[in-house]
Amino acid sequence: MSSPGYRPKATSTTGIAGKITVLSPACSSTMAERMPLTPRNFTSLAGKTVFLVDIGWGGPKAGYDVFEVMQGWFARNIPSAKTILVPKKGGFGDDDPELWKRIQSEGDACILGISC
Amino acid sequence: MSRFAKTLEQMGIPTAPCTALNVSEYVRGWNMLYNSGMPLRYTTFPLPIAGVSREVHETYVNGNDPVTGKPVMLQIVDALTKPLTNEEQAQDTMEKAQEPRLLPPDTEENLQEFFKEKDWTDYLPVVMPTEDRVNAMLKGTSHKAYEVVKTLAWPGGGRRLTVEKVAVSAVMAGAKAEYFPVILAMATMAPFGNSTTSMANMIIVNGPVRKEIGMNSGTGAMGPHNRANATIGRTFTLLSKSAGNLHAGKTTFGSLGSNLQYNNCCFAENEEAMPEGWEPLSVQFGYKRDDSVVTVATGWTYVSCAGELVTTYPPQLLIRDYMKSLSGMGSTALLCADPLVAGLLHKQGFTTKESVAEWLAKNVKIPVQQFWGNGIITTGYTSLARQGIEPFATWHNLPPDTFIEPFNEPKNINTVVVGGQTNTIWFITDFRAGKGVPVDYWR
Repeated sequence: MSSPGYRPKATSTTGIAGKITVLSPACSSTMAERMPLTPRNFTSLAGKTVFLVDIGWGGPKAGYDVFEVMQGWFARNIPSAKTILVPKKGGFGDDDPELWKRIQSEGDACILGISC
Repeated sequence: MSRFAKTLEQMGIPTAPCTALNVSEYVRGWNMLYNSGMPLRYTTFPLPIAGVSREVHETYVNGNDPVTGKPVMLQIVDALTKPLTNEEQAQDTMEKAQEPRLLPPDTEENLQEFFKEKDWTDYLPVVMPTEDRVNAMLKGTSHKAYEVVKTLAWPGGGRRLTVEKVAVSAVMAGAKAEYFPVILAMATMAPFGNSTTSMANMIIVNGPVRKEIGMNSGTGAMGPHNRANATIGRTFTLLSKSAGNLHAGKTTFGSLGSNLQYNNCCFAENEEAMPEGWEPLSVQFGYKRDDSVVTVATGWTYVSCAGELVTTYPPQLLIRDYMKSLSGMGSTALLCADPLVAGLLHKQGFTTKESVAEWLAKNVKIPVQQFWGNGIITTGYTSLARQGIEPFATWHNLPPDTFIEPFNEPKNINTVVVGGQTNTIWFITDFRAGKGVPVDYWR
């Protein structure tokens, strides 16, 4: 196949000398329906409750520790913001509907992570 | 994670998802376009995140987003409070041009380069999939070209993998039409493993089809010495990259990658050379001996024993020792044993493959700190331990030097007999075997 001057037999040609027609190996992708973000109804996090949710990637000392540092940042910079740090249940890809309902009930905003 | 953020946004909770640099481009691009459809306001963190100190995490939080260059915390606050742009409020169906069935005519040389530019190959020359060649491949099955073998959901986009698309990759890989039923069965398990952890696959064929198509289960079966082994395995990678749209750094993230992905360690089990009482892998999964079956396994680790066995140390002891280097994820191990090794194990009293698994499950012991010292374990099992799920809850609370038996599920320890009896060699791997896919359906 790799010898100099090798040309495969054009088993499906367009009639143009030396050219072949081949099938594409790629598949067409279906695009997602575009969805809006929820409106931001407050311009500051002062007085708001912010959930920090560790999805668990990297174990208990990865994202969770980063979020603990974030809690310190909020305490120094937006002290009236209440932060609640929660590990999500299950593996990092598992859904946690109970937690989402709790955040909807008790929270104003959420910081979620950290995916790797 | 984008689906969790999307869920919260749809519940009316402004959400600031955080990602690491390795998947930042994916979540902002491909994932938004083909999965979530929502322009989530991501903040990116440097790597590594696991395995570094609090001081490093402080530099991340107090530093800048490596993608946008903006201060991380101010960007997160903005993500939660800044009014939406028109783009962020859009709700419609995005349209994309369909992939053409035929590519514009060109020379073989130009098309070889074009396929490389599209990252549709493994960067070795491919056989050009002309209509005649693809039609010849399609003669290897009774199924219609337009039939959908599988919808490829990962990494989004719902791509319909048809029999014809599989045939295109099979031609590219250099396969023969008689291999096509095996390839179609294998394609139902596509795409290849995709993780930052650089996982890979192993493809094992059982049953009569092995001999029918001339697969190698003997000398050099796991090496580059047989057309069927080589090209069936190569097809798995080519269709994963082309039809599966898996491209390094964009939709696949294996940090080191895996050399096994050149042909996915494709081989046939040496069923004829197994000791009395040992069953082929497919029979262990519930198939009959005259069923042809392809099994696609997924894992990371592939360790050779290196040298021949010696009389002073029975094979099960050295296998036990080497298994201690595996993570124990899913209690999974897969032993690839030359028939000579299988015979020696049989003489040691292991009259079935299951008896080997049961012995190893009881005798492979590692300190619990080694178990939890692997990120694949901490990521996978810490949350289960916190929920009280055993044995992880108990293991999570043991003193670090306590020995545990991480391979506590013998059914997840499989043995495959392969090789040409030129030496008493074995490989221990952590490849997790699926249940096997019947080949005969695809004839």
